[in-house]
Amino acid sequence: MSPLNVQTAAACWVDDHGECLYRFALMRVRKPEAAEDLVQETFLAAIRGYEKFGSRSSERSWLVGILKNKIVDHFRKLGRETSFTDMDFLSDEFSEKFVAIGFWNHDLGPHEWKPEPDEVMHRTEFWQTMRDCLSKLPGKVRDVFTMREMDDVSSKEICAILSITDSNLWVMLHRARMALRECLEMNWFDKAAGGTA
Amino acid sequence: MPEEPYNPSPIGNPSVLARRNWWQTMLVKFIGKHTPKCREMVRILSQSMDEPMPLMMRLKKRLHFLICCWCQRYEEQLRYIHQTASRFPEHADQASSAPFAEDAKERIKQKLAEQIR
Repeated sequence: MSPLNVQTAAACWVDDHGECLYRFALMRVRKPEAAEDLVQETFLAAIRGYEKFGSRSSERSWLVGILKNKIVDHFRKLGRETSFTDMDFLSDEFSEKFVAIGFWNHDLGPHEWKPEPDEVMHRTEFWQTMRDCLSKLPGKVRDVFTMREMDDVSSKEICAILSITDSNLWVMLHRARMALRECLEMNWFDKAAGGTA
Repeated sequence: MPEEPYNPSPIGNPSVLARRNWWQTMLVKFIGKHTPKCREMVRILSQSMDEPMPLMMRLKKRLHFLICCWCQRYEEQLRYIHQTASRFPEHADQASSAPFAEDAKERIKQKLAEQIR
């Protein structure tokens, strides 16, 4: 790959993908300066590894993949500083959802969801709803959930990065999924906007 | 006649087995007794998103789903969340309107140009 090719490609990256990468990084690290640094590091790494990008995936997927690694590295550096204090959230068993002996309360159980995932991918409102729902999770729970579901980091590695135990991880992921499911159902699938897509 | 403590799959609910006759009633009671309760099942379903579920538990899950369309939906929805969440980063520009400062963009462009030179 000639320097000219990289130069042509890189010239468009900031305009074409900068907003996307920055907003994702900001959601994860919550500090604009840190997010800007991560985006810059991503593009610099992309220049260095441009030869390996064989257009097998889209340019954005490739850049997002690099950014995810950078974000995980960022958390790895912070690792030992992580502490967890949202005990109320973790102890909430959504007990009203179940009857005393542990079966679903049928009136409050999961509703049927439509449309199919592929149909929502291009709906801006869906992504906004998902972001709103994610932002309602306590910070550390959100970190664990996004690292697992968005960055695809293995559970063992998350435990090592954030210095938490296996059982703590399972509880956090379980509560995060339950809360996110509930929030998406209420704010997207039960609303006409979601159901009539 | 003493009242039953709880009926996990009453007539009219959308599960496969819904006590429509004597056999179904017996099956519903048996499955309800010998598979994890829903509160526990949703915890197991979440964990199965991160590590493989043992064979015996997979069988119990299948049986449980026969009397509980809610747990079955829960599992489908966890997969749905997984699929959509994994695509979220590529759509982050649609999910938020946080402005990417123009001076930061320019700084990065300059840095990239220096790097390529």
